[in-house]
Amino acid sequence: MKVGPRADDEDVTASAAFLPDDPLLHLLRRATYGPTPAAVAEIRGLGAKAWLDRQLKPASIGDQVADGLVARFPLSGLTIDGVRAKVRAGVIPRYGWEPMFEVGFATLARAVWSERQLYEVMVDFWSNHLNVTCPSGDVWDSRPDYDRTVIRKYALGRFADLLKASARHPAMLTYLDNRFSTRAAPNENYGRELLELHTAGLGYSEADVRCAARLFTGMTVSWETGRYRYDAGQHATGAVRILGFRHANRTATGGEAAAMALLDHLALHPATARRIATKLCVRFVADEPPAALVTRLAKVYLDSKSAIVPVLRALFTSAEFAASVGAKTRTPYEDVIATVRTLGYASDKSGTEGIRALYWTSEAAGQAPMAWAPPNGYPDVATAWASPSGQVVRWNAHLNIAAGWWPSTLRRPESPLAEFAGGVLPATYGALIDAVASRLVGRTLAPEHSVALADFYGKTLASPLRAGDAAAGWAFPYLPALLLDSPYFALR
Amino acid sequence: MTTNQDCGCPVSRRTLLAAGAAGAFAGLVGDQLATQLAFASPGYGGDVFVLLSLRGGFDGLSAVVPAGDPAYYAARPGIAVGKKQLIGGDSFFGLHPALAPLLPYWKGGTLAAVQAVGQPAPNRSHFAAMEELERAAPGTSLRTGWLDRVMGGLGGSGTFDAVSVGGAMPARVLAGPTPDLGLASVDKFVLSGEGEGRPMAKTLAALYAGAPDALRRTTAMTTSALATTATLKAVGYTPANGAAYPDSDLGRALRDVARLIKADVGLMTACVDSGDWDMHENLGAAAPGKRMYDHLSALAAALAAFARDLGPAGLGRVTLVTISEFGRRVGQNGSGGLDHGYGNAMFVLGGGVKGGKVYGRWPGLAASRLVDGDLAVTTDYRAVIGEILRARCGLTNVAGVFPGVSASTLGLVRSR
Repeated sequence: MKVGPRADDEDVTASAAFLPDDPLLHLLRRATYGPTPAAVAEIRGLGAKAWLDRQLKPASIGDQVADGLVARFPLSGLTIDGVRAKVRAGVIPRYGWEPMFEVGFATLARAVWSERQLYEVMVDFWSNHLNVTCPSGDVWDSRPDYDRTVIRKYALGRFADLLKASARHPAMLTYLDNRFSTRAAPNENYGRELLELHTAGLGYSEADVRCAARLFTGMTVSWETGRYRYDAGQHATGAVRILGFRHANRTATGGEAAAMALLDHLALHPATARRIATKLCVRFVADEPPAALVTRLAKVYLDSKSAIVPVLRALFTSAEFAASVGAKTRTPYEDVIATVRTLGYASDKSGTEGIRALYWTSEAAGQAPMAWAPPNGYPDVATAWASPSGQVVRWNAHLNIAAGWWPSTLRRPESPLAEFAGGVLPATYGALIDAVASRLVGRTLAPEHSVALADFYGKTLASPLRAGDAAAGWAFPYLPALLLDSPYFALR
Repeated sequence: MTTNQDCGCPVSRRTLLAAGAAGAFAGLVGDQLATQLAFASPGYGGDVFVLLSLRGGFDGLSAVVPAGDPAYYAARPGIAVGKKQLIGGDSFFGLHPALAPLLPYWKGGTLAAVQAVGQPAPNRSHFAAMEELERAAPGTSLRTGWLDRVMGGLGGSGTFDAVSVGGAMPARVLAGPTPDLGLASVDKFVLSGEGEGRPMAKTLAALYAGAPDALRRTTAMTTSALATTATLKAVGYTPANGAAYPDSDLGRALRDVARLIKADVGLMTACVDSGDWDMHENLGAAAPGKRMYDHLSALAAALAAFARDLGPAGLGRVTLVTISEFGRRVGQNGSGGLDHGYGNAMFVLGGGVKGGKVYGRWPGLAASRLVDGDLAVTTDYRAVIGEILRARCGLTNVAGVFPGVSASTLGLVRSR
């Protein structure tokens, strides 16, 4: 698997050479949070097309396990009224963060155990694209509702609908300050991030931002109820021009409708189409997306009036996607989730300890779900996560999870060695390493890497493996942990 | 690298600094030379810049008290610090008595304060103000942290160039393309499972040999950082000069910063957090057992231990700066506390500081001088930091780090 010498005369192996030559596993690594044994069996049975079709219709997929886990976080599904009612009833403190943490825990549980994997990945994608930091103080009552009624509702719908829902939601209105924007003093924060992050990207003018800020005045949040309300008395009237959108904006009562018309315009702006196509390619294809694919996907997006399903279908069936093996690296969150999925663990039998522990592991690694503070969402390229600190946290987590030390409440196979090695004790260390690698990373390793793992146990590949050996007993978890630490797993 | 282009800094800056440092030492002999070299990071001849973030909104008016402004006492009938209690001040300002452990450094000229500093526009949300404090580029599309841009400008690239101590992930102010390291602590940066007969790090190095660049580089940094912390751990650490760090997160973090500085691992900048300054109620009078008093005592004890541990030679190549997302309201609220405000004070500690003095232009606390009830900002915190970075760390292009900002000319530090 070595390719030619580099300029600095060191041998380097192409990324793709670390991954199995198997398009179905490639699709699973990208379109889900990582292959589980069950997912591998399913996609082999269905084939790529039928599997993708099914994932693109999440409502058709039963999801009892994940539903049961989410039910363990009842605060995560509350409406704004619901959070406030719990506060009035003295169940949770005003401004408390537990409902938001529960959204994070429930999201993580779904990422690991939901059958609707591509949907969950897209929920994460939009949660970052339209980021409202969870948890953060000002959205204590509205963040669970934002997750449910904005992100989850439209994650596989039309972007125009998602954008309009976000614009009117108290969480976004609070996070980007539009609730404080007034006729006399328009606040530009939302207007700017809407143009720069949510839609067209850099290329707007300051006049565009000022006009957008004026057009959104009046869209605010009721201090009494925490609900969205349009306050015509605070709307700044007068004609606006924003990235090709023109509106006379004559009446205060018509301000909200004019703002929605702007959002429809922006959602279908060619620059927005390119931006979303680019971000989807960065998520699913490569850190540096193929230009021709971006162009094609932008056209699909515009032709389908911002519906996302046709774009995803075009993406996953493209030649560029097929050719992109090894071009993505797992982010810390993807790594933690894929670790549990790859090992094939089930959740805590009851309670939430294991899920909470996985959340804090992700947080320690730098990426608790939805917790990114700035409005641009977590970075999605390998260079952004190339941190030694994060790598050590991840490596330590692999061993902790593989050995069942922490979290200790997830349900592991009765005998991981027997499960990973197919029920029989392999005859040699080489056979052990081959069996566990095949099960966890879908392939056997390059010889020098197998040798390194055997060497870890002080053995050679040919050394016989005996039932009483440490490697078959207490020291076994080091083998799956080291495989999860390696480039064979780090690459997505 | 693009960072260097963004900053307009020459890519070879690091090399030039190295040449300058070697030249500067050419005339030194004996112990002095040994001391100087022991502290010199390879290729970098500037100060180690330590950023201490006081999270939650530090009340600079309690710390650096404008005793000469009658409006101060009028606004805070229950919590103002009495004139007779103040220490180390001048005819107008005085320091809070809980800062007594720092008085020797104030009088010795290595600790200064700047009053009425802050961000260019008020922002009274913790979250948004902290974001902007660490991005430090309002009105631009920059998404990196300002200290990352500083490291780009100075040419940082080594494993221990930029370290945040106290949390496993690097501080947001370091977010950006330049690699940085987050350490919960030096002693806790360990690879689980590594031990006798379980050579984890060696095995991982073998698994990553020949891996694609992005993966291999990080792994090389990780294994080298692990080796360094393992050595530091094995050697152990005893603070010098009898310095006694308080048993607090801040004390432990500053102890580790001093340890990294003295171990000559190449440290150029370090970030440390100190939280819990958000005192909306019961800030308290200036007496032991009261909230602000105890917090300031703990802060002063940790900083004093840090300065003592480094000693004059060590402090001579360190500048520590405190920042906070906003100051607090001039007038006390109904709960004996202070709500979120605007203008603030910052402390600057280091051998190159011209200390014992409060810098800045005092805007006054008369009602007409306030910004919505808050102390006005007369000096942009970025300008102060720019002045320090230029004089002490060799940063040439301040506007490349802080767009549109010129270094202040307060003269609060000597040029190296």
